[in-house]
Amino acid sequence: MSRTKDRKVIALAPIEIDADPEMRPLEFGLISRLFTYTRPYKNSRNALIATVILRALQLPILTWGIGRIINTTIYNGDVIQLIQDVSLFGLMALFTEITFHYRMKLALTLGELVVHDLRTEIFEHLHRMPMSFFDKTKLGKNIARATSDVEAIRTGVQDVFFISMIQFGQLAVSALFMLYYDWALFLIVVLLAPIIWGINKYFRVRISKSTRRSMETWSMITATLSESIRGIRVTQGFVRQGTNAEVFRGLVAHHANNNYGVARSTAVMFPLLEFNQMFFTAALVLVGGYRVLSTDFHLPVGNLIQFIFLSQLFFGPIRVLGEQYHQALTAMAGAERVFALLDTKPDWEDKPEAVGITSCSGHVEFKNVSLAYDGKTPVLNDINFTALPGQTIALVGHTGSGKTSIINLVSKFYLPTSGEVLIDGRNILEITSRSLHQKMGMINQTNFLFTGTVMNNIRVGKPEAKDEEVEAAARALDTFDALSALPNGFQTVVKEQGTGLSLGQRQLICFTRAMLADPKLVILDEATSSIDTITEARLQKALHLLLKERTSFVIAHRLSTIRHADLVLVLDAGRIVERGSHNSLLEIENGVYSRLYRQFSEA
Amino acid sequence: MPRQWGGADLRFGSSMAEPGASWGKELSNREVVIRLLKIAWHYWGTCLLLLILQGVLLALFLAAVELTSVGIDFIHHKIRPSIQPPRWPFYFQPDATWTSTEVLVVIALLMVALGLIRGVLNFWYKMKEADLIERQVMFDLRSGTYDKLQRLNFSFFDANASGSLINRVTADTRAMGTFISMVVIQTVILFLSLLFYFGYMMSIHVTLTLACLSTIPLLYYLSSRFSKSVRDDYAKSAELADTMVLTLSESLSGISVVKGFAREDIEKEKFQAINCHVRDQKKSIFNKVSLFTPSVNFLSHINIIILLAYGGYLMSKGEFPLGQLVVFVGLLQQFAGQVQNLSNITNTVQQNLIGARRVFEILDAPIEIANQPNPLPLKKARGSIEFKNVTFGYKHAEPVLENLSFEIKPGQCVAVLGPTGAGKSTMMSLIPRFYDPQEGSVTIDGLSAKTLDLEDLRKSIGIVFQENFLFSNTIAANIAFGHPEATQGQIERAARSAIAHDFIMNLPKGYETVLGEGGLTLSGGQRQRLAIARALLLEPAILLLDDATAAIDAQTEKEILEAMDHAMKGRTTIIVAHRLSTLRRADVVFVMEHGRIVQAGRHEDLLNSEGHYQRIAELQLVDAKNLYNSAETKS
Repeated sequence: MSRTKDRKVIALAPIEIDADPEMRPLEFGLISRLFTYTRPYKNSRNALIATVILRALQLPILTWGIGRIINTTIYNGDVIQLIQDVSLFGLMALFTEITFHYRMKLALTLGELVVHDLRTEIFEHLHRMPMSFFDKTKLGKNIARATSDVEAIRTGVQDVFFISMIQFGQLAVSALFMLYYDWALFLIVVLLAPIIWGINKYFRVRISKSTRRSMETWSMITATLSESIRGIRVTQGFVRQGTNAEVFRGLVAHHANNNYGVARSTAVMFPLLEFNQMFFTAALVLVGGYRVLSTDFHLPVGNLIQFIFLSQLFFGPIRVLGEQYHQALTAMAGAERVFALLDTKPDWEDKPEAVGITSCSGHVEFKNVSLAYDGKTPVLNDINFTALPGQTIALVGHTGSGKTSIINLVSKFYLPTSGEVLIDGRNILEITSRSLHQKMGMINQTNFLFTGTVMNNIRVGKPEAKDEEVEAAARALDTFDALSALPNGFQTVVKEQGTGLSLGQRQLICFTRAMLADPKLVILDEATSSIDTITEARLQKALHLLLKERTSFVIAHRLSTIRHADLVLVLDAGRIVERGSHNSLLEIENGVYSRLYRQFSEA
Repeated sequence: MPRQWGGADLRFGSSMAEPGASWGKELSNREVVIRLLKIAWHYWGTCLLLLILQGVLLALFLAAVELTSVGIDFIHHKIRPSIQPPRWPFYFQPDATWTSTEVLVVIALLMVALGLIRGVLNFWYKMKEADLIERQVMFDLRSGTYDKLQRLNFSFFDANASGSLINRVTADTRAMGTFISMVVIQTVILFLSLLFYFGYMMSIHVTLTLACLSTIPLLYYLSSRFSKSVRDDYAKSAELADTMVLTLSESLSGISVVKGFAREDIEKEKFQAINCHVRDQKKSIFNKVSLFTPSVNFLSHINIIILLAYGGYLMSKGEFPLGQLVVFVGLLQQFAGQVQNLSNITNTVQQNLIGARRVFEILDAPIEIANQPNPLPLKKARGSIEFKNVTFGYKHAEPVLENLSFEIKPGQCVAVLGPTGAGKSTMMSLIPRFYDPQEGSVTIDGLSAKTLDLEDLRKSIGIVFQENFLFSNTIAANIAFGHPEATQGQIERAARSAIAHDFIMNLPKGYETVLGEGGLTLSGGQRQRLAIARALLLEPAILLLDDATAAIDAQTEKEILEAMDHAMKGRTTIIVAHRLSTLRRADVVFVMEHGRIVQAGRHEDLLNSEGHYQRIAELQLVDAKNLYNSAETKS
């Protein structure tokens, strides 16, 4: 029964809120490291601190001023004095708000500057990492470092520290004032403060928990929606609309209940805090009134009024500090993750003594090369072969046989665990990655395109190329007509992930891109998809032109490509099991290649 | 209490008689507002309760304020008998025999009691409001929109990006909910409270109230101008941030291209440029925000100054009690806060309306393809298909299919061949009525497809799409997609016919393996076979295979062809294919070009007659023949 029910779920939504904790205790190391990011802007930071100190004093003074005017000047009915006092109060208010203006502007700007610098640092750091790093970490996590985590840090930098300072100042100054006016009333305040703090803390934890639950169902809703829309053809083709709608209704109801849960926490918290406030005022009226009226104390009535004002100045910060504390913990968690990323050392970097190559003939040699991505399980074992300049090397074998690994080594995306990869007789370790990549043209299976025009996508191969050069490259590959025939020719805009272009068109762009780079080494992971025969023929022709007189490594899925290769390496479980030309390999009776070939030709 | 918004019974959809009357034409602001108010009217009972509760809460608040001022004035009067005694509210007059402490205790107790009642009512109000918005309004809106969305024609999905459609069910429905909670309920409450505060203050002192509130129009003007002026800045800022994230994510997802072409520095520059742009654009926001907030604060200081000066003057003349001066300070702050809220609300209205308009677009979109009245059932189809002079185009001006006619007998296998854009997939999509032809007719078993029951029709057809979408769910659930109640036995039988059973059993959790993001990634061939199994589970009389062998290498293709041979037995099959190996197996091959069938016949016959087919066959055979030749000469 439960099985059938499970099946109705349109999508078991991927909930990606896994290991990343939302909060982290305050840690001095992290704080001081964050603080170093404000160092380049120390003038505005110091100015900010000055405004913060000013404000911590100004606010209690203003409040005290109101009370003072009411309980002395007005109380005594001195009109002249009143005008003077009120004008003074106005000036003070103006001064306070001017300070506030600078305090806000400086804080916001400082936050943005720090965030900007962090983002740049993260981006540059990520681009220093070798490929192995990207195989291990998910794209979404790396993006989260530069977005949500950095945003958490922003609040930490621009708000938490400075607002807390101001609020502490207010708290302290107003406490001193209150203590000065009446110690007994202050005692009530002191007793209530921890209760308010406790309520705040308790409910903040509850709210953050229920918010998390609500976020989880929310991510299920968006994931389900996205699948429903992408799979709409399947849904309508299989007449599932009714079932899906029922499932979605369940999800939405679940989410609504979670939101209701969030509301429940706030619905208890705020009235409770308000009740506290009311309780406090009542206590003031009672105790304060008693102390005013009783002959033992003779508390002036003005002091009581001062108290009512000042107590608000005291309780406000408790609430705000609670919020800021919560924010601080979130910022800590963000900072911890960002710094952990920035502290990740690349598994390897170019040796300092590595040199840039200026020319390259395209002679590639593998000498006893082995590779284990995790350092233990070898994916390549004792690989030996030589590619002469201009040769095409076809790599053939089942998925997981090690074709991609060989390509990864030639392009120095990975370093061999043992053995040597030599380019023009020089160990690849002694060549800078950059100079090597400048001699290389790469076409990967996904035919990755950037958003932007077709022209700019081709220019990836040679950023400084003029339009004419791009067109010349397209003519040389005989792709010019096909690319000109796009809706806006070379200026056609490629949308995210190449949508809007057919697979064949994307491949033509990638071929032209590689051609423009005019590489000595071509690395091609052939797309597996078959395209209609005419387009296919055109691609083969372009490919033939591209590979001519260049050393190339091709993960081949097409017979014609293999047939044109000078050397076919047949891989199985990380070893070269057969090698030779297409024809010579076919002669091996019951050989791996002839078996593979039979499958090809039978299909 | 979930409301059912079944397909045709879309309560909030257009009530207009002819479908499509509002489709494509933008609703005016007035129309949108009226329809939103109509939606709100559905919940009028709860809305009314909320308003009443809020009224009571306000009255209680003012009573507490009144008590504070009475308390202060009572004390004041006791120590300075020369000034007026307090004005006792609610016709309440303390007994002359009470000591002043007793009076204070009574006042304090009353305040606590008021606070308690207010707390309870406030809780009730908040829960009711959350229940209304979250559990009723949002629930109804979201499930209703989703339900309608799923029934829309493919042309709607062709015209709208998926991101935009997701937003309509998520953010845009939220905007509608906000309209109801903010505009309909909150505005009324705001006006109500402004009225209460104003009335209370006026009852204390008319000219003082007017003097103190003289800055309010300025405050309203400033607030609404401010939020209007930052709105565009914020929109621009969000847009820039999106571009920045896109730059980052593209650079990372294309990292091998970036590294392979030694483009790291260029990418860094690109990112740096947009990063700086984001930073610099914020300056104007920061300037405005840091000017606005202090100005508003200063305005409220001015209120206080007026109060102190004028109120103080009145008090010195004995016309105004001390306690009320104190509560006036608090009330003024409340009042100013509410006015700011109001200006915020008026500014969000515009955004809410934009969201609502986008949701109405879905709710109003006509479902063009639906059952005719009294549709004919099609329980057990034989599987004959006939196209009669069919003309169809996604846009009217550009027909994709032109005057297409053919007939397929039950159990026949037809292969379709042609270049991209020839109309192969389009032709197939007319059979299950994903689209209806503009001219001509499609008949199944001799009956026009339009007259058949749509559900029956689609259930008689098994479809394997070009890009086979699998849901992030278990393999079993994916196979049973069209028939969720299927038994494990049925699922396995379908999987076996699609030669998928063995690989499924080799997975760690077999049929319960979860696919998709965060789950297992299958190879292209495995996905295809699951898609075939999904189609076969329906035991369809007609099987449509759209280029099912495209994304596969030769080794898997063989397996898939085997699977398809199994699948086709006893079914009418139309298969789009490029490879000769597939074409050879078909009973008939259609060669399509520019929306027409240019050649039709058996593989052998077509091979021997001049034309497109021969050309294509030659292109493919050159490869194969060379291979054979070279292999033969060597051996």
